[in-house]
Amino acid sequence: MTSFRAGVDIGGTFTDVVFAGSDGRVLVKKVASTPDDYGRAVLEGLALGIEELGIGPGDVSEVGHGFTVATNAILEGKGEPTALITTEGFRDVLELARIRTPHLYDLYYQKPPPLVERDLRFEVSERTTFSGEVLKPLDPDSVAAVVDRVAASGVRSVAIALLHSYANADHEARIAEAVRARLPDVSLSVSSILLPEMREYERTSTTVINAYVRPVVARYLGDLDVGMRASGIEVPLMVMQSNGGLAPVESAIDKPMYCIESGPAAGVVGAYHLGKRLGIDNVITFDMGGTTAKASMIEDGEMLLAPEYEVGGGMSVGHRLLKGSGYILRVPSIDLAEVSAGGGSIAWVDKGGALRCGPQSAGAVPGPVCYDRGGAEPTVTDANVALGYLNPEHLLGGTFPIMADKARRALRDRVGRPLELSDVDAASGVHLLANSNMARALRAVSSERGRDPRRFTLVAFGGGGPLHAAGLAEELGIGRIVVPPSPGVFSAFGLLFADLEHHFVQTHFRPFADLDFDEVNGILERLRGEGRDLLRAEGFEDERQQIMTQVDMKYVGQTSELTVAMPQPSFGPEALEELGKAYGVEHERTYGYRADDPLQLVSVRVVARGLSEESRVPERMRMVGMPERGAAADRDVYFTHRGEWIETPVIGRDQVGGGARGPLVVEEYDSTTVVPPGWSASLDFMNNIVLDRAD
Amino acid sequence: MTEREGLDPVTREIIKNYLESAADTMAVTVVRTARSLVVRDNMDFSTAIFNAEGDQVAQGLTLPFHMGAMQPALDAVREHFGDDVKPGDVFANNDPYEGASHLPDIFLFKPVFVNELLMGWTCVIAHHTDIGGRVAGGNACDNTEIYQEGLRLPPLKLYEEGELNQAVWRIVEKNVRVPDKVLGDIQAQLSALRQGEKDVLRLVDEHGLENLKSYMTDIIDYTERLTRAEIESLPDGSWEFTDYVDDDGFNPEPIAIKVRVTIEGDEIELDFTGTSPQAKGSINPNLAFTKSAAYAVLKCITNPNITANTGFVRPIKVVAEPGSYVNPQHPAPVAARGLGGFRVAHTVLGAMAKALPDRIPGAWGGGEIGVTFGGYHPGGKAFVFLEFNNDGPRGGGPFADGADGATAPVTNQANTPIESIEADQPLRINRYGYVADSAGAGEFRGGLGVVREYELTADEAIIQIRSDRGKFLPWGAQGGGPGTPTRGIMNPDTDNEEAPSKFMADLNAGDVYRSIQAGGGGYGDPLERDPEAVLRDVRLEKVTADHARDAYGVVLAGDPPAVDTAATNELRERMRGERGPLDTEPQVIPATQG
Repeated sequence: MTSFRAGVDIGGTFTDVVFAGSDGRVLVKKVASTPDDYGRAVLEGLALGIEELGIGPGDVSEVGHGFTVATNAILEGKGEPTALITTEGFRDVLELARIRTPHLYDLYYQKPPPLVERDLRFEVSERTTFSGEVLKPLDPDSVAAVVDRVAASGVRSVAIALLHSYANADHEARIAEAVRARLPDVSLSVSSILLPEMREYERTSTTVINAYVRPVVARYLGDLDVGMRASGIEVPLMVMQSNGGLAPVESAIDKPMYCIESGPAAGVVGAYHLGKRLGIDNVITFDMGGTTAKASMIEDGEMLLAPEYEVGGGMSVGHRLLKGSGYILRVPSIDLAEVSAGGGSIAWVDKGGALRCGPQSAGAVPGPVCYDRGGAEPTVTDANVALGYLNPEHLLGGTFPIMADKARRALRDRVGRPLELSDVDAASGVHLLANSNMARALRAVSSERGRDPRRFTLVAFGGGGPLHAAGLAEELGIGRIVVPPSPGVFSAFGLLFADLEHHFVQTHFRPFADLDFDEVNGILERLRGEGRDLLRAEGFEDERQQIMTQVDMKYVGQTSELTVAMPQPSFGPEALEELGKAYGVEHERTYGYRADDPLQLVSVRVVARGLSEESRVPERMRMVGMPERGAAADRDVYFTHRGEWIETPVIGRDQVGGGARGPLVVEEYDSTTVVPPGWSASLDFMNNIVLDRAD
Repeated sequence: MTEREGLDPVTREIIKNYLESAADTMAVTVVRTARSLVVRDNMDFSTAIFNAEGDQVAQGLTLPFHMGAMQPALDAVREHFGDDVKPGDVFANNDPYEGASHLPDIFLFKPVFVNELLMGWTCVIAHHTDIGGRVAGGNACDNTEIYQEGLRLPPLKLYEEGELNQAVWRIVEKNVRVPDKVLGDIQAQLSALRQGEKDVLRLVDEHGLENLKSYMTDIIDYTERLTRAEIESLPDGSWEFTDYVDDDGFNPEPIAIKVRVTIEGDEIELDFTGTSPQAKGSINPNLAFTKSAAYAVLKCITNPNITANTGFVRPIKVVAEPGSYVNPQHPAPVAARGLGGFRVAHTVLGAMAKALPDRIPGAWGGGEIGVTFGGYHPGGKAFVFLEFNNDGPRGGGPFADGADGATAPVTNQANTPIESIEADQPLRINRYGYVADSAGAGEFRGGLGVVREYELTADEAIIQIRSDRGKFLPWGAQGGGPGTPTRGIMNPDTDNEEAPSKFMADLNAGDVYRSIQAGGGGYGDPLERDPEAVLRDVRLEKVTADHARDAYGVVLAGDPPAVDTAATNELRERMRGERGPLDTEPQVIPATQG
């Protein structure tokens, strides 16, 4: 009996649904997204796929889902009206944030509006110190007064975040109790439960984000769950988290803060599992769409996680230096660098006579000039058409006509003439500039953290990734590229491959010299216990549980900490010695030196992963139901590094076979792979196109 | 100026992208490696890449106020060492009288070689937590000569052909109060220099040495062309403005900074003639810093995205009389020169508000509050706490209210987490939040100032405060009102004593210092402000009902309050009559009249 797993990824324009059968059959369905009720397109896509495969809803064994409902609620200010209860003297911590601004030299900076305005931020009389000692007991009268005001405001969601609550949760628990007693139906988000970690703004902001989206996410996922069951799909709905692991729908509804950036994570997860299957430990992922390009890194077989990120932070190549455009969310998230460069990025000439590309984008409407939908400004896609990389007559398997002449004319008028460049130099200039912008994202995840990109394999996906991959690889010195099947919907594949995963943290701020081993081991056991209990409840026997322990530590007095793996099951003199060594190694790798200074424990972390019984990556993907590729003739393609037009064969993926030399263009329904001279291409056992540079 | 032969604009843009990204990578390396709050959170450091001739090509996205600051410090190094520049060398310089800034800013430069051939330089400045001297933190206002301000490192080799100069290292170690932080931050600088060198050399591999050198110089020329085009689009003319520093901490007389900005064609001249003489206390901005502050403001006004390099400053001429406040002469003290630099920026901005009334907001608060606590833990280990997180809030206008509590457009500071401060330092923060009614009124009001209250938990410590804007209010533009002044209060719950803007004092456990930022200047006629916007501010307790009536002529009534339109119209009519015609020129008002 063949069963099918389904992955559903919601994008702004399309909702992608991928089915993977236990017999190796893979079906991709693309349906228009339904922003008024995103769940409708999800159910529609599932139903269409089931029908086309000729199976019943009962044959679907699992549904993995990446969604943008939470992000959109934040970006559009449409979350649940929320109140915040905090320590007296500190109600503005949320709005002051870290006071940094996202653009330098900007006279007109405006703060993002706080998710909880000042009149819904209430203070109670209490104070705890960083060691958990109560300096000023919680004043019950002030709590009662605040609960009255919360009740009067009519809000349905409350966040509680007091100073130093990571060290002593008692006051928050008592306030929660008081709110619950008076307002039993109100949704509660308590910082000491959600994020018992030092740093008040980050903890408060994270708790508030959770509170703000919780009712919205609960409604969306709840309705979807009901809708699936009504259509006969009885299996649990699994949700992608920002950390790249799946979580059951109940857990996502309870702590939506883990699923805010659920969409972009999926592609990286896909590349991670693909890498595991291929035995590639070091991968840079490159995902290029219409308006943005994203990069991330997998090193030594592990995805790179960032401890926090800004929701709605927008795009900035300097985003590691410039903050303040969004809302800090302190949960481990797949570390993505994003630049505003995509197929729709507009090329223009600045006042100093330089060619520029982006950040303005023609978007889907009017789109590139060659779409002939009213776009007048030349884009990267137009340049790619003019250079012969993209089919000059039609895209999407022949269903979408292209006006190559209009693209060439716009490039000549807006780029070539003002800069006195030939047609081909204008087009290749735009293409190369787009590469140079996107290379910044790739460098942000590699050389900015001291990693040499040449050690990595590039996994390229998204509509534009496979076209630009080889050019970028040459710029960064990368010698191998992998283009997975159906690169345009690869993120949905990631949803099929991901494991179940939960993260836990507890700050325990002590110098190593002052550690009470029993105390810290008690914390460790508690976190591990929480992880095991959760996995057990989700049906993972003990032998299918993977529990990883990590330690955030630093030199005493150092301002930032690093995370290292815990070398021993528990804390003791030996563990400390090994941690010291591991920290030195990590410090040297990240910063280029190590010191012989005393060490400080900051937090302990536990990651609990539920392991599947069998590999979640299909042995060989046999695509079914793909539209026939329109017959394409060989065409002249301009290769920028050669500086010449070459008559280039245009083939389909299945024709790549065991090995073909560049120049080549591989056309597929939703993507085009360019293989320049000096590169060869072959298909591997999973149907990936593997590009190798001949050196 | 024309394009150089044989160079194409696409390759130039690609190399420019790469170098900017390499300078950013250096900055990220510093942030990730640094030991101190002042570097990591206040972002008080900068990174840059220079060509072989010592001209700056690219700068990292760090502190705008370091715009162009590295050039004179590198010039001094090159002048001193001449040909004695070898692979593996690292040069240091922190001498304000040899092109550097103030002593806590240690500049490090690493020459980049290809086969024994010098092809460029990488540079990192970092503001160090302490540099010795008579007051912890290196920012005292009441020094009277540079010799009191700490360790002075004239251009010297910290590394000589790859070998660390142990003598210099040990001298630094023994002269600063917190050597672990200072040497740790120097390590961070060195890591960034090496990272930058590596990235530049990769570019040599790709483009070839001679080709790359040509492009690095061409990027500077391109920036100059772009800057000139931006200046060309500004109106020609000449505008004067004078702003004030409260005092130098000794003499109660205000210090006047006067500027005449002249725009003619594609060039700008800033003439500071008429500015007060150099101050006795150490709040003098040395010439390099005066220029950096002016450049940063001009970059805000022209095009924030222009590459920060030598080409940007070429069309800008700065005239500053030697011995004046903006060009102090040896041995004048300069430790707290940041304060003076901020006021230079305000002065230039004020003149530009006359030139471009539709584009320039009211003044940002500009309290320039630097807070230092220094002392010893039990056991004798020193602690130094230093933060500059009080340079907001924004001025209002021209399209929206000024951002409450946000930092000035010429800084890139973060505040320090309160929980981290309390865990790492013998301090407690008792309060951190907005001050109602502190914003300058206007059709678009200024941003609200912020109060932050520090309590000492150690037995004893020395507090040192550097602040300003206590006597002269942040000005409004286009008829907007001024923000409220900066204030400092010792032990608000007991002594409740107003502290001077610049002072040093011995504190005991339990002593409290309350620091209150100035508010941002407003923009446009307050009587034209949308009454609903005033009501919203009242609801958010950012403006009181009394202030709504007195400053905006908005009368509120009922519970919850709503705008009483008839009463508001009547009151506004009366206020307009009493006020007479609105004066739209920005002007500095003494606090006593505010």
